[in-house]
Amino acid sequence: MKMIRAIVRPEKAEEVVGALAEAGFVALTKIDVVGRGKQKGIEVEGIRYDELPKTMLLLVAREENVDEIVDIIMENARTGRFGDGRIFISPVEESYTIRTGQRDYRRLI
Amino acid sequence: MKEIYAVIRINKMQATKKALEAAGFPAMTAYTYRVMGRGKQMGLRPDELSFPETSKEKIKEILAKEGKHAMRYVPKRLLYLVVEDADVNKVVDTIIKTNQSGHHGDGRIFVCPVQETIQIRTGERITETKPN
Repeated sequence: MKMIRAIVRPEKAEEVVGALAEAGFVALTKIDVVGRGKQKGIEVEGIRYDELPKTMLLLVAREENVDEIVDIIMENARTGRFGDGRIFISPVEESYTIRTGQRDYRRLI
Repeated sequence: MKEIYAVIRINKMQATKKALEAAGFPAMTAYTYRVMGRGKQMGLRPDELSFPETSKEKIKEILAKEGKHAMRYVPKRLLYLVVEDADVNKVVDTIIKTNQSGHHGDGRIFVCPVQETIQIRTGERITETKPN
């Protein structure tokens, strides 16, 4: 399993979530964050804003679905300008459903 | 070392903190106030209370009805803590025991590997698991 953390523009988040749902990936967590990239934020009329509001989508998926999910996020979050965000993929070793108390070996959508 | 992510119900936060503290794990990080989450039920939908399998047809059907009676996300708390490998089971059991109500929406736990931790105050680096 992999954890996919995508930092996207807040106004693009619902588009990405909708597209993911259509492809069958409905479960996710959405977090409001602030961040900056290598442009060190933006400067508007002499004032520098270096904490820009972004939305982080956090989802855990099976390895074979990671490429598809990344493609969907890229397609729907991209405007082509700076600030479109980033996607990070990291390993997850175990996953548990609290309701059942069972470890999920297979079923993760 | 492992990082344990837990997405839990908002009203279970205090109980979870107390239980973790009692089990010997007082250190943790949590997102301020709340995060928005959803599982395979796609949020709260009074007319679709529970469906066991999420097929693509079912999702399409639900998306077509979108906006009628849907709460697309449910507010949750997201907390995480980094623990020694040997303690993972204990922490996971504690979180499950405290948060299990048996209903959908109890949340999820993810265990991820951590390569290195550094204590800022002392600059001490921990790369290996200490023998317990």
